[in-house]
Amino acid sequence: MHKWKEMETRLALPAVKVTVEQQLCKSGNSGVISSSLPELPVIVEERFPELPDSQLIPMDEMRNLLVSPYSPYVSNTGNAQNLHSSPSGFSSVFHHPPIVPHERHGNTNNTAINAGNSLSTYSCKGAFQASIDNFSKDSAEVAWSLDSVQGILNSDDDIPGSNPIQSSSVMITDDLNKKKEWWTNIENEDWKEILNDTTIVESQSKVVYPAAQTSPNVSILHSQIYQSIPCHSGDLIAVTSPLSTTTVAAKPRMRWTPELHECFVNAVDQLGGGEKATPKGVLKLMKVEGLTIYHVKSHLQKYRTARYRPDSSEGMSEKKATQSEEIPPLDPKKGIDLTEALRLQMEVQKRLHEQLEIQRNLQLRIEEQGKYLQVMFEQQCKSTMNKFNTPSTAEEPSSVSSDPIDMAAKTDTSINSKGAESSKQTATKRKMPELDPSNPSNADAIIGCRFFSLTLRWWQVLGKPFQEVV
Amino acid sequence: MKFGKKLRRQMEDTLPQWRDKFLSYKDLKKLVSLISATQPPCSKAEAHFIHFLDAEIDKFNTFFVEMEEEFIIHQKELQERIKRVAEIYGVGGSQPLEEKYEAEMRKIRMEIVNFHGEMVLLVNYSSINYTGLAKILKKYDKRTGGLLRSPFIEKVLKQPFFTTDLISRLVKECENTMETLFPAVLDQYQTGEGGERTLIMAEQVFRNTVSALVTMKELRKGSSTYGHFSLPPLSLSLPDLDLLQSCMLPSPITIV
Repeated sequence: MHKWKEMETRLALPAVKVTVEQQLCKSGNSGVISSSLPELPVIVEERFPELPDSQLIPMDEMRNLLVSPYSPYVSNTGNAQNLHSSPSGFSSVFHHPPIVPHERHGNTNNTAINAGNSLSTYSCKGAFQASIDNFSKDSAEVAWSLDSVQGILNSDDDIPGSNPIQSSSVMITDDLNKKKEWWTNIENEDWKEILNDTTIVESQSKVVYPAAQTSPNVSILHSQIYQSIPCHSGDLIAVTSPLSTTTVAAKPRMRWTPELHECFVNAVDQLGGGEKATPKGVLKLMKVEGLTIYHVKSHLQKYRTARYRPDSSEGMSEKKATQSEEIPPLDPKKGIDLTEALRLQMEVQKRLHEQLEIQRNLQLRIEEQGKYLQVMFEQQCKSTMNKFNTPSTAEEPSSVSSDPIDMAAKTDTSINSKGAESSKQTATKRKMPELDPSNPSNADAIIGCRFFSLTLRWWQVLGKPFQEVV
Repeated sequence: MKFGKKLRRQMEDTLPQWRDKFLSYKDLKKLVSLISATQPPCSKAEAHFIHFLDAEIDKFNTFFVEMEEEFIIHQKELQERIKRVAEIYGVGGSQPLEEKYEAEMRKIRMEIVNFHGEMVLLVNYSSINYTGLAKILKKYDKRTGGLLRSPFIEKVLKQPFFTTDLISRLVKECENTMETLFPAVLDQYQTGEGGERTLIMAEQVFRNTVSALVTMKELRKGSSTYGHFSLPPLSLSLPDLDLLQSCMLPSPITIV
């Protein structure tokens, strides 16, 4: 029960998702998968709305699902480190049917499977591993009251007929009918075809953030030759929800790039234009791994809106070529004033943009420097500790304490000691207690560390005049 | 002026459909007060706080990525239109007609400038939300003695809403396009005789841009909590900015 509650906390998700996680928890597992189930989201609901949603999947099934040979979601701890900080939420960008015929029960099954799907295409299975780690680490911490979670869930709008938490304590029920229903639904779905078309490559680097820039292939698209040019897009990014806990992200989110868009436009043109092209057709033509029909659909919609509005106004003005158009011909003076105004507007905008870029770079640098100083500090502390753990001579303490000075002195003065924030001092203080002051050599270590923190503080004070330099 | 107020002002000035996409700074502040008032940093409260922040970030990301997508599409469309207009009505085109060409070009120019402005405003949106996040995290750490700020900010830096490189690129491309589109003859009129200038503020975009610049300037002024992670004051010689502000009419005149 306790764990169950923890699960809820960590994932303030619509009831559907919570259901799954609770169930997983209940089956007495370490809730391994749970934190990686975020975006199961509304996909489940969109696709299988008719299925009731209070079913359970035994944990074992879940595991089997995940290690199914069919899809490559075997957890690969290789990338775990990199992705440790990455969100356990993946956009369910990639819908690949599991096709692992275990017992399936309605909605939850789909949820689970989609989760598995998400996992598979989120090629960094390390993330999966990482989220496991995350979860087991944090599980001890979090205990949430049922009410607050309920509150959160209730405020979530996009769940049709949402399941109150209580009902999710339904145990696994065997329901063959639902199983069949679900199965036929899967078979009917487009994405099965898509799966057959696309191949899942394990070494996809798609998940990298920010977008890897264009592949050279796509630049060929500039030529007006409409062949089916494969759009090898390293640009397809699974946009993940942030940070350690998952948040609600109802739709699969994807980050488009101009190159990808060109590919899209080409495909559309090949199919006879925005009106005639269908998402399915476009998807097939584009041949971009990981792109789903949902992405194409929404993009196509946007495309149509953007295209056919100005077009119609243009078309109209073409018809009334002889009449005065929508914009009556201005006399030269007005025209020039107008252009002047536009220019002015442009200037101001440019200026703002410039400043924004500068500001952003500054912010990045500030954080970098802060990190750098912190690392240096920790290293210094560590080496100080080490030195005093080994039998030390009288000279060493002094050499250690002089080191921080050197180090600090070498620090770039123009940085204005950004790293020296209170957290470091806190960190220092936290480290202190580990040493036993009664031991003389340890006392020196303490002095060394303390001295170092003082030095940092000194830079703090001194650093203020340097702020203008930046 | 405190950040909360500045943020609020930005939100008021911004494009209406963007209003609810900004950081809920006030609410977060309340939460921090609540957390610090009750007890020493409790991990449950911290988790709640983090959760709130995550939700906000998600909101930013979704909005940002969606706008980005629209901008990409729009930009391509503009380019296509320019090509088409030049092909049809331009010199040596299929139906060369200077008047028509000029008219269309005027339309396009206006669109491009507004488009440019919108993109810049999106970058500004990103920046202001980031600032808000940084501030609230700093507040949190200060009041609860936590160490949340650093690692959290690190992750924020990688979020889509903060990685504005693509948008910046689009902006630059836009500027280049503008260079080619603006008739060279205009340079003659660029002398200092500003007396007769009619500043026609047509679009909300322009007002927002000016407002954004002003806000940025104020945000960067020294404050009581000016510290090591603060940005230096905005060194921006914009005498025009005040002039512009004073010229901003309450009801913009639309350019026909």
